[in-house]
Amino acid sequence: MSARNAAAGGGDRVGGEPAADVLVEDKQSGSVSLPSPMTPASAAGMSATMEMPRKRKGSVDNQDTKSASMDMDIEDMDESHNGSDGEDQHVKMKCFREPHSQIEKRRRDKMNNLIDKLSAMIPTCNPMSRKLDKLTVLRMAVQHLKSLKGSSSSFSEANYKPSFLPNDELKHLILKAADGFLFVVGCDRGKIVFVSESVTKILNYSRAELIGQSLFDYIHPKDMGKVKEQLSASELFPRERLIDAKTGLQVQADLPVGAARLCTGARRSFFCRMKINKICVKVEEKEFQASTSKKKESQKYCTVHCTGYMRSWPTTQLGAEGEGEGEADKQDSSHFSCLVAVGRVHSHSSPQVNGEVRVKPTEFITRYAMDGKFTFVDQRATTILGYLPQELLGTSCYEYFHQDDLPHLADRHRKVLRSKEKIETNCYKFKTKSGSFITLQSQWFSFVNPWTKEVEYLVSTNTVISCDNSRTCRSGNKAEQSSTSKTSEDGKKSLPVIPGISTTPGAMIYAGSIGTQIANELLDSNKMNSSPSSGSVSPFSLSQDKCPHNQISNNVPNGEATDMEIAGKSSSEEDAQGATFSGAESLMGENPQMDLDSVVGPGLSSLSSDEAAMAVIMSLLETDTNLGEAVDFEEMHWSL
Amino acid sequence: MMTADKEKRRAISREAARRRRRVESEVFEDLSRLLPLQQSVRDHLDKPSVIRLTLSYIRMHTLLTGKTGTKAEASHKVKCGQVTDDQMVRHEFNGGCGEEEEKERYDADASEETNMYLRILEGFLMVLSTEGDMIYLSENVSKYMGLTQAELMGHNIFEFSHPCDHEELRNNLRVTAEEVWSGEKRDFVMRIKSALTHRGRSANLKSATWKVLHCQGRSKVCVAPSSVSCLLLTCQSLPLSHTLLSTQTFTSQHSMDMRFTYCDQRMTMLLGYSTEELLGRSIYDLCHTRDTNCLTKNHFNLCFKSQSVSGRYRMLVRGGGYVWVESHSAVIPNARSSKFRPGTNQPLCILCVTYVLSGVEEPSLQLSLDQTVHI
Repeated sequence: MSARNAAAGGGDRVGGEPAADVLVEDKQSGSVSLPSPMTPASAAGMSATMEMPRKRKGSVDNQDTKSASMDMDIEDMDESHNGSDGEDQHVKMKCFREPHSQIEKRRRDKMNNLIDKLSAMIPTCNPMSRKLDKLTVLRMAVQHLKSLKGSSSSFSEANYKPSFLPNDELKHLILKAADGFLFVVGCDRGKIVFVSESVTKILNYSRAELIGQSLFDYIHPKDMGKVKEQLSASELFPRERLIDAKTGLQVQADLPVGAARLCTGARRSFFCRMKINKICVKVEEKEFQASTSKKKESQKYCTVHCTGYMRSWPTTQLGAEGEGEGEADKQDSSHFSCLVAVGRVHSHSSPQVNGEVRVKPTEFITRYAMDGKFTFVDQRATTILGYLPQELLGTSCYEYFHQDDLPHLADRHRKVLRSKEKIETNCYKFKTKSGSFITLQSQWFSFVNPWTKEVEYLVSTNTVISCDNSRTCRSGNKAEQSSTSKTSEDGKKSLPVIPGISTTPGAMIYAGSIGTQIANELLDSNKMNSSPSSGSVSPFSLSQDKCPHNQISNNVPNGEATDMEIAGKSSSEEDAQGATFSGAESLMGENPQMDLDSVVGPGLSSLSSDEAAMAVIMSLLETDTNLGEAVDFEEMHWSL
Repeated sequence: MMTADKEKRRAISREAARRRRRVESEVFEDLSRLLPLQQSVRDHLDKPSVIRLTLSYIRMHTLLTGKTGTKAEASHKVKCGQVTDDQMVRHEFNGGCGEEEEKERYDADASEETNMYLRILEGFLMVLSTEGDMIYLSENVSKYMGLTQAELMGHNIFEFSHPCDHEELRNNLRVTAEEVWSGEKRDFVMRIKSALTHRGRSANLKSATWKVLHCQGRSKVCVAPSSVSCLLLTCQSLPLSHTLLSTQTFTSQHSMDMRFTYCDQRMTMLLGYSTEELLGRSIYDLCHTRDTNCLTKNHFNLCFKSQSVSGRYRMLVRGGGYVWVESHSAVIPNARSSKFRPGTNQPLCILCVTYVLSGVEEPSLQLSLDQTVHI
């Protein structure tokens, strides 16, 4: 509704207006009833003229009355001219939705409400302990208004255009709300012809300092070209680009460039960075502190949104100001062209300084694709992790997670893909560039496109946990790990750590595939959900091609020590989702469970990569001998 | 059956009632005469409207003549010793009829300046109480809503804004004490009823359409005589056409899920991506993650309100670094689509005009996969 209407300027009904008929009735009743409560003498004369505006006001106030969707206090008082005239009620057309008494009651309540508000605003009414009657309040209001008008100057007298706000007040308010200043600059050399008082609040320069100066002296060097283009009449610049709102296409202006640019009324809208004067930046500083300071301070800028119009005046009216401009003007030398614009500063903060590390807590943000690969790394990560963003991009996060944390994190990964909420992880260890581990705790959530409702990527806010917390975190982790090892959830693949299950020699998966596996699960379950007929495809058949036997040592991209153990752990993960459902043989041929710690023993992480590789191979060969032992398959909760 | 006695009593009470009403009407008329309204407007006011406008008058007066607004204002005035507040100037003029002419001229100048502001901003001023009462509206509100200042002032904004925007509106109206004192800023998009027709004439509100307004402003408080806080907002209609786009601006079109369907060649010049690379890519992939919220909010506004101003966010540049940009967007009928059949829902797309605000920052920093890998 709204999109089309807004775009096409259509005349659809305002949403939630079901009762048009009733509105019509009201208006009709309005027209037959007695005219305004104003002096009876003028009533007759007014009744005729009052129809039109009355109807409109009636609609303003009444349109929601019968509307079910709008639940507000409506002033239907335009019809209530007879509201307070108790007995002088004339026949109103029956409203089919409400009894007449209800309408009347509402009117009275509304009136009483207004009177109460009024008495609250009038100083003389306030101290009264008991509630004053309507007439008294009104009389006091009259007195109060008289006193207000008396103290203020005669701005709102009849000889002036009467207005609720004196114009200078209004101007003041506008500038305050807009956080802006008015400026007029000549097109030719950018001379500041006029600037309003409010510029001081924004740029900290006084009017005197600015008027007569060139605007370009106050603009960021890189934006000068942009501003010149907006002001300039030069033929050198490309033809105008205008957007046709209806089609969204760019159109070329038919007029020759110069004329089109400068025609009076032509709108301009651009952003530029303007200098902020350092003096008096902080109100606590002394006025001349900055000027006596010897150290070089970098120039501060703020981004100003300038919108305005081009205007052209004959130079004869301008005297000295126009002369110089007129001669230089390539166009009509008898005209002084300028831009009249308002510059506004937006509330959004200026760009963050790079490398800014928050005092508490240290954190950085990363973005993962659904399979856990880094697609975005906040520049703050470098100071924390030691990697440049490009070193991490494209690699899987699982390659950096400590082996102990893998089950937990994989579980979280699965959860976040299916949940709309933010998922917290426990503390976990992340491998830094130097090889050591840093303890992090993350908050993940899947970013869903508002329109398609599909997961586009995962956003992770990672907080660094200081060392003293790490112990508790770790233990928490372990507990989590053991508890999840035996549980399974409906529809989700559990990550059982099944001790004793042998592994065929060298059967390992590298870390990256954990994430891929998890992502594929989701995609396939979505596919299955949407097309049950195609459910014959096993969701786990994709992992069939994983982990050939001889990949122990070269399946790790960086060849770092700890990847081995991660790889070992990951195989257990893989199994869980496992391609193992296709049959017993695949169970053996695929990636059997292996708990590295239980098989190899703790302390693997302290080994160098070669040693670690050897250790794993040795352990695999050892466990080979256990192949014959019975394994209780019932314990494994494979969901199909 | 009524006795003569009862009838007599009834007549007396009727008469008394009439007298009361007459007196009341007179007081109402006295009140309305004190309001700064033109005669023609005054004549058409009904009683509740008189009170409504009186309330506005008193509230505005309180707001403006009360003591210092915000901390910042107060100390700024004192420290820098500048008369930045025109209000102070005005008070100097009080009293003394010899300065009448000067006042007149001063006011006329201010009037012209004010009109210029409003014209340039392409919007109107709205002062909202914390409950949402439109205490004050500048006169040009009629150009945007089709209803006059006198008709609207004193009413509550919730009566005129889209129900789906009410929650956002309430959040914006909620100002804590701390925020009020620091002149907290507000920036949001809202849909408001407009009784204007295509041609800009005022019509009946019954056939009102929704107009999208970009509201920006800050809170203001006055302490004495009583603590009154409110929001000062400029409400601008968002233009659908942008004239004279500079070299630092580019346009792009997107499907409703914000995937690119078109972008002009300036994008390539400024950001390094070719049009072909971008087609089908989501804008969320191209931006700094910390600005995801900004983009999402923008997207929401577009989906529900059809127009939006994004605020500042970072777009990643091919090869490294990012630029700060701001996008002004609208949902428009998809003119390129050939699937349009009359009578069906016309397919929509999003049109963005993006202003580049800064140069390329941190050009050596590659934050995203898109910057490193050839797409």
